[in-house]
Amino acid sequence: MFELSTDVTSPKILRRGDYSAYDALYLGDFSCPDTLDNFSSHPEYLVEGVEAVKLQGKKCYLRLHAVPSNHELGSVRTIIETAMRLPFDAFEVHNLGLLKMLREIGCNKPIHLGVFGNLYTDATARVVKDYGVTRVYPNPELSLKEAIYIRDQTPIQVLMPVHGKIPLVISETCFILEHSDRRPDTGCGYLCTREHWLTRRAAGGWSLKDTGRMTLSGSDLCMLEHVDKLVEAKFDAFYVQSHGESGEYVATVGRVYRDALTKAFAGAPAEDLADALREVGAFAKMGLCNGYYFESAGRRYVGRA
Amino acid sequence: MPTLLAPGGSREMAIVAIDEGADVIYVGPLGWSRRPAESEMDDDDIKSVIDYARDRNRQVRVVLNTFPSPFEMEGFIAKIRRYAEFGCSGFIITDPGAIAVVRRLLPQTVIHVSIGSGITNAWDARFYRDLGADMIILPYRWDESEIERVSRCADIGLEVFLFETVQTGKICPGKCIMSSYLKFRDWLPVEGKDAFFGSANRGAKECYRVCQVPWEFASGQGVAQSLKLRRDARLMLEQLPRMVALGVECFKLSGRERPVPMIRDLVRFYRKVLDGIIDKSALDMSVYAGEAALLGARWKIEKNKRVDSLIDRAVPHEAEPMRWATA
Repeated sequence: MFELSTDVTSPKILRRGDYSAYDALYLGDFSCPDTLDNFSSHPEYLVEGVEAVKLQGKKCYLRLHAVPSNHELGSVRTIIETAMRLPFDAFEVHNLGLLKMLREIGCNKPIHLGVFGNLYTDATARVVKDYGVTRVYPNPELSLKEAIYIRDQTPIQVLMPVHGKIPLVISETCFILEHSDRRPDTGCGYLCTREHWLTRRAAGGWSLKDTGRMTLSGSDLCMLEHVDKLVEAKFDAFYVQSHGESGEYVATVGRVYRDALTKAFAGAPAEDLADALREVGAFAKMGLCNGYYFESAGRRYVGRA
Repeated sequence: MPTLLAPGGSREMAIVAIDEGADVIYVGPLGWSRRPAESEMDDDDIKSVIDYARDRNRQVRVVLNTFPSPFEMEGFIAKIRRYAEFGCSGFIITDPGAIAVVRRLLPQTVIHVSIGSGITNAWDARFYRDLGADMIILPYRWDESEIERVSRCADIGLEVFLFETVQTGKICPGKCIMSSYLKFRDWLPVEGKDAFFGSANRGAKECYRVCQVPWEFASGQGVAQSLKLRRDARLMLEQLPRMVALGVECFKLSGRERPVPMIRDLVRFYRKVLDGIIDKSALDMSVYAGEAALLGARWKIEKNKRVDSLIDRAVPHEAEPMRWATA
């Protein structure tokens, strides 16, 4: 009926997490190849990862690095070639050069276009579809109306993020490392395992979460009050962005959305969501937002009314 | 023969740049080129600049480098057709689908892939070649070895900004929506659009350059550092002869929003430098170092003025209570 998915960076996180609410998992951190035990950078972890996900009866997708430099192309290719021999259900690609590489090496799996693929138009959706893309994650700036239009005009499946911090920026160097006192030759030290925040009090409290190569929204996207609209619009693939979040976050948010989506698909009348909102809101240090779905600046919360 | 591509943020700027020796001018139509209205042009002015350039054997590229809404592709195509009829010789475009559409419409036109496409490797160049693009602008971070690599394998023209390579900071053209996450600006009537579409990437809503003002950066309860998210780029000089030798075909001067005298002096300067490299009469860039430093200082002052004015527009924003905030 629908698919609810989230992301898992490493074997350790996969082993310890409760993913019972999810139908599919995206393995790997696309933002940084140096993230600790990142599936996207360690071909030796792929067998264990995909087997563990399949044992839970879920679909398993592999994320590829979103902004590979020329120096990193060789290692990304090794990951691709290893994964092509394994039962992954799809690759997630953000970089259009990698999309071309996949086609040239005869990729035998479906491809999902990731958030940094910068999909804004149905014209681009048609281009990437010709390269084997079957599912797109539209740029977060798109409104619901635009996402529906792209899905119908292309046609192509659209992945709708429903909860979690919004990926805003990706860069090729680590901002945390650049501003640490570590010597460059001593490795990164996985400084990103601690939370880092960018704030600007002079602007009335702007806040962003930084994970080194990626900057995320300070507030958590929350579409709980609008699940009925998503179902009415006939979306069927939903995603919880959980990069950098705790195991408790992943399990709780997944359970809340699984429940809400199941009821909405069954046609149940809208219910009071105050408790559920409070539950997911408890994880949101900088509050909730609705992103750009309702044609507004991303950090605003519109609510159901 | 490498060309100098110069900004036309206004009709006056475009004409000055042509008169000072730019080979190609780029201009942006209102609402379609990721700049505020004062640095874009209406169609009458664009036609006038194309006519002026053609009479002097120069070319004009029209910048339509927003990521259009899927609802405005018809308008995008109408604009492309109109400027082609005016005699514009090429376009600067970001959206891959839009590039493919323009190539089908105009097989002979020159298509530059805009910096907003966020190219990071040589395979990206090959992807855009397949789409029908003629020229890619290279990332700010690439060193000479990477330029050499792409020139060997991608069969596509190479363009660089006249800025030195920068290796640190959040440099992510086309991969950043921070500005629109924090604040939107409504369209202005002069921009000719009334639909809501949001951000710098999409046209009317200029980027507030929030990466270029101080932020507090901290881990947990640690002491916050005050820092900018990226550092200022310096004008390119020393690398120029090597870039020409590597086959870079197009050197792009940015600055549609800068004052006209600043662009006049920069075009005059780079015309002289490039001519000296091309005819091999002046390959030692150190003779220009003093002049470049003065221009660089002026550039920085003007840039800071612009950042200040943009950030003033972005704040103060309306007070919005955070919902379910726990901090």
